[in-house]
Amino acid sequence: MRRLRALGVRLLGTCAGRDRDREIAAELESHLSLHVDDLIRSGMDPAEARRRALLDLGGLEPVKESCRDQRGLPLLESILQDTRHAARILLKTPGFTAVAVLSLALGIGANTAIFSILNSLLLKPLPVDDPNSLVVLGSAGDPQEEVTVNYHVWKSIREHRLFDKPFAWAADRVGLATNDETRFAEAIWGSGDFFEVLGVDALLGRTFTVRDDTRSGGPDGPVAVISYPFWLRRYGGTADALGRILIIERVPFTVVGVTPPHFMGVNVGTAFDVILPLETEPLLGRVPARLESPYRRWLQIMARLRPGQSPETLTAALRNAQPLIREATMPPYGRAEDRERYLRGDWAAVSAPGGVSRFRRQYGPALVTLLAVVGLVLLIACANIAMLMLARATARRYEFSLRLALGASRLRLARQVLSESLLLATAGAILGLALAHWGSRVLVQQLSTWAYAAVLDLSPDWRVLAVTVAATLATAVLFGTAAALRVARVEPIDPLKQRRGGLEPHGRVGVGASLIVVQVALSLVLLVAAGLFLRSFAALAYRDLGFDRGRVLVAIVNTQRSAVTVDGRAGLYERLREAAAGVPGVESTAISMATPVGSAGVRFTPAITILGTALPLDQEIRILTHPVSPDWFRTFGTRITAGRDFDAHDRSTGAQVAIVNEAFARRYFDAANPVGGTLVEMIGAGGRRPWEIVGVVEDAAFTSVREPVEPMIYRPFAQFADDELLGHFPTITVSVRSAQGSPARLSSALAAAITGVDTGLEVSFQTLTEQLNAFYIRERLLAMVSGFFGVFAVLLAALGLYGLLSYALTHRRAEIGLRMALGADPSAVVRMMLGRVSALAAVGIGAGLAASLWASRLVGALLYAVPARDSVTFASAAAVLAIVAIGAAWLPARRAARLDPATVLREGAG
Amino acid sequence: MAKTDVWQGTLALMVLKTLETMGPLHGYGIARRIEQTSGDVLSLNYGTLYPALLKLEQEGYIASEWGVSENNRKAKFYRLTRAGRKQVQKEVREWHQATAILAKFLTPGEEEP
Repeated sequence: MRRLRALGVRLLGTCAGRDRDREIAAELESHLSLHVDDLIRSGMDPAEARRRALLDLGGLEPVKESCRDQRGLPLLESILQDTRHAARILLKTPGFTAVAVLSLALGIGANTAIFSILNSLLLKPLPVDDPNSLVVLGSAGDPQEEVTVNYHVWKSIREHRLFDKPFAWAADRVGLATNDETRFAEAIWGSGDFFEVLGVDALLGRTFTVRDDTRSGGPDGPVAVISYPFWLRRYGGTADALGRILIIERVPFTVVGVTPPHFMGVNVGTAFDVILPLETEPLLGRVPARLESPYRRWLQIMARLRPGQSPETLTAALRNAQPLIREATMPPYGRAEDRERYLRGDWAAVSAPGGVSRFRRQYGPALVTLLAVVGLVLLIACANIAMLMLARATARRYEFSLRLALGASRLRLARQVLSESLLLATAGAILGLALAHWGSRVLVQQLSTWAYAAVLDLSPDWRVLAVTVAATLATAVLFGTAAALRVARVEPIDPLKQRRGGLEPHGRVGVGASLIVVQVALSLVLLVAAGLFLRSFAALAYRDLGFDRGRVLVAIVNTQRSAVTVDGRAGLYERLREAAAGVPGVESTAISMATPVGSAGVRFTPAITILGTALPLDQEIRILTHPVSPDWFRTFGTRITAGRDFDAHDRSTGAQVAIVNEAFARRYFDAANPVGGTLVEMIGAGGRRPWEIVGVVEDAAFTSVREPVEPMIYRPFAQFADDELLGHFPTITVSVRSAQGSPARLSSALAAAITGVDTGLEVSFQTLTEQLNAFYIRERLLAMVSGFFGVFAVLLAALGLYGLLSYALTHRRAEIGLRMALGADPSAVVRMMLGRVSALAAVGIGAGLAASLWASRLVGALLYAVPARDSVTFASAAAVLAIVAIGAAWLPARRAARLDPATVLREGAG
Repeated sequence: MAKTDVWQGTLALMVLKTLETMGPLHGYGIARRIEQTSGDVLSLNYGTLYPALLKLEQEGYIASEWGVSENNRKAKFYRLTRAGRKQVQKEVREWHQATAILAKFLTPGEEEP
C-alpha cells in the first residue's frame, strides 16, 4: 500500500521536477549552513568549515543526483527524454517523417481494418449470455451449411424434448406502412422464448415471451420488439415509442420494447428492424401463409447445451430421434426420389457461439487472403523505412560517436534510435486507426447487394486493439533494429578518422541492398496477386452472358392483395404486359416467373424425351425449363439463331411449342438443326404431351454467372402456366428493355402503369446490372483492395530505390569524381550504378517470382477463369517492377554522370 | 574504535525513532542526533540521509514544513505523522522479536527438550 503511494508521489515528482529540485537544493544549502555554523562555533575557520561540511555531506552534486533519482522515476524520465529527442530529430526531416508515418498509417490501418472485419465475422461471440453453450441445428456432412426446417419439424423437435432450450427464428422482409408509402423492413420471426434463451434484456420496455407467441398475439395483441437503430431512426430514441403501432402488411403490431444497441440477431452480417413472434405470421395474410406451409423450409433452430453436455452427445441424441421426426413431417412430395432425399437428411448439433452467417463461407477465405495482402504491404513499408533509417543512422554517425566519446553507453544510443522508430510507429498507428475506422465501414458496405444490406458490428474490442498494438511494436522493432545495430557499432574515433567529403572507405550498403531485394520481392508477390485478382474479376464481370445487361429493368410484382382471383391471373398478366409496353421509353417487355440472375427460387425440370435424335426413345431426361412470354428474347437481347420466337398464336389451346438453347442443340442434336424436332413431356401416369421445337437461341446464363450454360428449354408462358401453378406463385416479373439510356429512369413510370392496372399490386424494381453486381462482390473486393495496395507497394519500392541510390551517390561522390578525373567516361559511371541496381532488382524479382509461384496455389479457389500460375500475370508483374526499378535508378544515375570532378575533389581537400 | 557505517535498512527506523523521541527536527538535526545516540560509534553518511527522508515522506510516514532554526537559519523541518507513529511502534516490536529469536540461536548451552 505504502509502496503504491510512494510510486504515485514519484510519478507526480516526474512532472513537477524543476520545483522539487530547487527545493532539494535549498534544503541542502540549509544543511550546509547549519553544519558550518556548528563547526565555526567549535573554532574552525570559515573556509575550512565550508570545505569540511561539503566533504561530510559527500559532495553536493552526487547528493542532489541521488535525491533527484529518489524524487522521480529515473527510468520513466529517461524514456521521456528519449521520446522528446526523437521527436525533435524526426521533425528536422519532415519529408522522411511524413512518408514514413503515412506508409505506416496505411499499412497498420489496412491490417486493423481487415482484421476487425474478420474479427466481427469469425471471432466475436454473440452479445448474449454464455455464447459458448449455443448450438445450431446444422448438417452432419457440412458444419457450415445452413439448415432450415419447416414449422412441423420445429414442433416435433420441441415435443421430443431433444434440446434443453430450443428456439426457432427466420429472417424475412415485410412491408411497413409509413404514412402513405410502403417501405420494407427487415424482420425476424422468433419463437416465444427467443429472448429468454439468448438472455437478451430489453433496453426499454420489454421483450416478448411465450405468452405473446400465439396465433392472435398475447395479452397485448400482436406485439413487436424493435431494434436500437430502428428506434433511433423512426422514433428519435424517445421513450414514447413504446405502445406505438406499426402497420406491418396492413396488420397493427404494438411496439413493446427496444433491444440493446449491439444486438443484431443471431445472423451475423445482417441487421433487423423488428422482431415478431413466430406464431403471428399467419396474421399477415400472405398467401400461402409461410408458417405452416409444408414445403417451406424457412426456420432455423438454435438451442443451449446442458451443463456438461457436448455437441457430440446432442448430435447422437438427435440421430436417434431423426427418423421418427422425418417420417412424421414429410412434405407431400410427388416424386419418390424427393421423399427419399428428405428421409436421408442428417442433422447434427453444431457449436455456434458466433451465431450463423452466410458471409463466413462466402467471404471468409477472401478476407483472410486480403489480410495476407495487407500484411505484405506492412512488411514492405517496414523494409522501406528500415532502409531509410539505416541511411540516416549512417549519416548521423558523427553525432553518435561524439556522444559515445562524451560518455553515453551504446545501449543508450541504440535506445535512442529505437525510440525514434517507436515514435514513428505510434504516430502511424494512431493515424492508421482513424483510417481503419473509415476503411472498414467502406469495405463492409461493398458486401451489400440489392437484396440485403451488409451490417457488421465493427466496434473495436480487445482483440482488435491487441492486434494493432502488436503490429505497432513489431513494425517498430523490425525497422528500427537494423539502424540501432548500426549505431551501436559506431566507434568514438570515427569522426577523427573521416574527413568530411574526403575519400572514404567503401560504405556499408550490404544491409541496405538486402532490404531492397526483400522489398522488390514482396512487391512482386503483391503485384502478382493484384494481377490475378484483377484478371479474375474482369473475366467474370465481362463474360458474355447471352443478354444485354445495361438495358433491362426488372419489376417484381406481387399479386397477393390484388382483387383478381387465381383464374383471372393469366388475363391480369397480359394486361400488365400491355400496360408496360405502353410506357414511353420502353422498347420491349416480357413476362416470366423468374429472371436470369434474380433470386428466382423456382426451377422447373419436367421429364421429357426427345424424338428424332440418337437418344433412345424411352430415356427420360430432366431439363431446366423456363416459361417466358413472347418478346422475352428481344427484351433481354438474346439472339435467336434459328427458327422463331413465341408469339400470340402460341396459346394454351393450340399446338404446344418450345424453344431450345444452343447448348441443348449441341448436346442432343449434334450439329443438326433441332427446329422441327419434337420433345415429349411425360405427365403423370404414362401421359405424354408433345412439344414442337420452333426456335433455337444462343446460350444465356440462368441462375449462375460462373458455370457454363446448361441445356435449357423455353416454353410459352401462356401454355406452361396453368391456374394451379399460378395459384402457388403469386409473384410475377415484368421485364422491360429501355430504348436508350439507363433503364432505372423508367421505374416510376412503370410503377404507375402497373398499379394503374390493379391497385392491389405491390412492385419493386431492380436493374439487371444491380442483380448481376451481387454475384461479383467477392471478386470485386479482392481486385479493388489488392489493386490499390499493389500500386502503393510499387510506389514505395520506387521511392526506396531512389532514396537508397541518392544516398549511395552522396556517399561516394569523391570516388566517382576521382574516377571521372582519371578519364572514366560518364556513361560508364551511369552503367556501373544501373548495373548495381539491375542486379539487385533481378535478384528481388527472381525471389519474388519463386515466392509467388509457391503462394499462388493458396488462392486458386478464389480465381475465376485464370490459372493460379498464369504466365501473363507473372510476366507483366516482373516487367512492371523491372521498369520501375530502372526508372527509379535513372535519376540518381544521371546526376552521378553530371558530376563535375573538379568541384568534387575540391570539396575533399582540406 | 572506527566508526562503522549505518546499515541501509535501519536508517529509516532510526530517523522515525529520532523524530518520535525529539519531536520535529530538520535534516541536520536528525543526523546529529543519530550520531549522538549511537555514542558516536556510527558514522552517518549525510548524503544518504536526504534520499531516505524523501522516501519516508513519499511513503507518508513523515511530513515536512519549512521553518526557522535556533540560530535563525531557514530549514526544512520533519515531523512524524500518525501513520509514521504506528509504523515506528510496529517496527520496534518486530525488531525486538527478531533479536529475541536470534538470541536463542546464538546463546550457547541451551538444552534440547
